[in-house]
Amino acid sequence: MPSVTIDGQTFEFEGRPGLLQFCLQHGLEVPHFCYHPAMSAPANCRQCLVDVGTPEMDRETRQPRLDEAGNPVIRFFPKLQTSCTMEITDGMVVKSHRSSEAVERAQKDNLELLLINHPLDCPICDQAGHCPLQIQAYKYGPEGSRFEFEKVNKPKHIPLGPQVMLDGERCINCTRCVRFTTEISESHQLTIIERGVRNYPMTPPGVTFDEPYSMNVIDICPVGALTSRDSRFKARIWEMSRTASVTTGGANGNNCYYWVKDNQIMKVTPRDNPSVNEYWLPDEERLDYHRFNDDRPEGPAIGKIKTDWNAAYDAAASLLKDADASRVVFMGSAYATVEDNYLLMKLAASLGADAPTYIPHIEEGHGDDWLRTDDRSPNREGCERLGMMPAGDSLAARLNAGEVDVLYVLEEDPVAAGLATTEQLANVRVILHAYNTTNQTMPAADVFLPAATVVETVGTFVNHKGHAQRVRPAKAIRGMNRTLMMEVGKSRADLHGTPFDRWHDESNLVDCQPGWVSLPAVAIRLGHAMDYRGPKYIMHEIADSIDAFDGATYAAMGEQGVRLEDVGAAV
Amino acid sequence: MADFIKNPVVELPERNPAPSFPASELVFTDAEKAQIAEYVERYPTADGAIMRALWLAQEKFGYLPPDVIKLAAEEVGMPYAKAYGVATFYTQYYKKKMGAHVLDVCTCFSCQICGGYDMLHYLENKLGIHKGETTEDGQFSIQEVECLGACGSAPMLQVTNGSYVHNLTTDKVDALIDALREGKSWPFESVTLPQDEDDLGGNRRTDVTATETYQTPPASETIA
Ligand code: SF4
Ligand code: FES
Repeated sequence: MPSVTIDGQTFEFEGRPGLLQFCLQHGLEVPHFCYHPAMSAPANCRQCLVDVGTPEMDRETRQPRLDEAGNPVIRFFPKLQTSCTMEITDGMVVKSHRSSEAVERAQKDNLELLLINHPLDCPICDQAGHCPLQIQAYKYGPEGSRFEFEKVNKPKHIPLGPQVMLDGERCINCTRCVRFTTEISESHQLTIIERGVRNYPMTPPGVTFDEPYSMNVIDICPVGALTSRDSRFKARIWEMSRTASVTTGGANGNNCYYWVKDNQIMKVTPRDNPSVNEYWLPDEERLDYHRFNDDRPEGPAIGKIKTDWNAAYDAAASLLKDADASRVVFMGSAYATVEDNYLLMKLAASLGADAPTYIPHIEEGHGDDWLRTDDRSPNREGCERLGMMPAGDSLAARLNAGEVDVLYVLEEDPVAAGLATTEQLANVRVILHAYNTTNQTMPAADVFLPAATVVETVGTFVNHKGHAQRVRPAKAIRGMNRTLMMEVGKSRADLHGTPFDRWHDESNLVDCQPGWVSLPAVAIRLGHAMDYRGPKYIMHEIADSIDAFDGATYAAMGEQGVRLEDVGAAV
Repeated sequence: MADFIKNPVVELPERNPAPSFPASELVFTDAEKAQIAEYVERYPTADGAIMRALWLAQEKFGYLPPDVIKLAAEEVGMPYAKAYGVATFYTQYYKKKMGAHVLDVCTCFSCQICGGYDMLHYLENKLGIHKGETTEDGQFSIQEVECLGACGSAPMLQVTNGSYVHNLTTDKVDALIDALREGKSWPFESVTLPQDEDDLGGNRRTDVTATETYQTPPASETIA
């Protein structure tokens, strides 16, 4: 197998890998700015320079020339090469800053050059703390600058569009943002204008940077030149923890990080997953986090009177107990996890009621064949694979005919969905698990059980292509149980989990419960034991008992999820 | 006169400018369209033809406001943003209305050392405008530009993307302005290269009959 020697260490390789990517994949850091694995390499930042040599070939024998000791003679390129554009060939010898003083010096000088007109305003910059320029300047840069003149003043705090703010002075003209709009989103809304020391990215006159994926340029900008108008100046990166999870604004299950400070979601950023969303996230899924912070209920209620959880569970149980099972309607949810829907199905079955249905949330024309989908709910596929049917018009008919005594709604809003009106529900006892006080079925609720949202629970969503993925608690709720505690602990043990995120402190704790806590609490009062040690075990049972989920355990899902077909589940 | 070095401010272009031409005028004729199509044919990708298409548009409209750049980009079949980036890169593309004569004074390295700024400021004083401005009578505009590739005859300037005026002196600037005012164009000046010096008796300037200023020593003495 062909091999390459990097800083004296030999690696085997296949095909023709790019040198920079190869180094990064093998844990060898090479400083760089403009290179991004998903886009073309313009080699314009010049930060990734390395010294590269290839074996000298004997023209006659076509064999490498050997020196006296029998080692191949290496001929180095006369100048340092950009590793981002260099393809590895057999016998190549590479010296990075770890083994070459010339490379180390070149990187230092290049950073001095990049910083000549940089405002050095890290103390007020949102990128500080996770800024490639800042980090690399500390690690590889010079100690000071020899530039003694006025720095160039470029346009600052210019809104490029509704979501993205430009600071032209911080920009190092790596063109990542421009390449994103030309190669990835193909909106062609950005370009680098002017020349030399005057250039910076801009929209052409008359154009607004308003494409549905605009905020991705914020993540890929290696400096603080592009910041989010929504979250800038709200929290420093080291004050937040981030939790790996998925978004729930659509059916693609885009992988994300939820960033938390003081038990509030501050922002949502993409998390790489080659089989789901690569490096990207649509703007709408970054901006819909306010529903996790705002309009949250203040605890359970019976007939609008605030109560405690046990009383609420008792009330729900007694409504169900007294009712004729054929006159009880259970409604599952494409917003709720597979586990919670499964428990609801079990509850309905144990009472002898009809199986729950779910409400589809299809918005024709919303999707784009990329990361946005017509389906605006995260788990329709999960409901379908559980065997749930979509709710039809029959509910309204049954309500009008007076055939329903109790409506049990799990994390849904039938009134907002147009399936029932509050008038129709006037004579029906409604048990409602809901996320927000904006839920329009809430005025009709007899028993109200605040539900944990995706950022407060543990569970599984199945995306529209059958990719099953886990969600993890990003922030704490008022009644943290052991499972949530453990999951929070595990998911916080990451890059930015800090004491400042204060998930363990009392502020902003929402008094809600995940379905896998509240549903068993109701069931047990009806004499049906739902004894699970946590959602993990519920999922085990689902994987064991439902063919469509065969093999879909938490272990199989891991961080990146798993295509159900790939673990042997029946389609 | 504020130099960029002393006051390095980069202005933001107008982001939502009013249209520069009525829609009825903002069109290419069939002949121009055919010409652009022919340019497109010459390059491996359509984008390559934008330089020529912009040039054609500038000749037609006199300058390249955003709506004209957009028109050219659409005709070539490339993104407007990219065409705008190209147009703003080159000082030869006029992004605003210019005077009848555009004087592009080079202040890049060689010219700067040989008095490019002196020439620029002399011209500014003479015409009573700053660089980037146009005289009230609409006759002259001054631009400060980067290297025009005539370092050997620095300092120099270029007239309206046309003739080069080499080896500038204040007298020569006066003569140039007089000539342009009289409606004459500046004649082509031949500038010889150093290897012709022997033929020219050591004088590579065409504007004076004899000088020793620029004489380089014979090759044998400098090359070991
Ligand atoms: S704004 Fe950021 S991503 Fe865009 S060119 Fe500048 S440094 Fe690169
Ligand atoms: S990463 Fe190689 S030149 Fe920028």
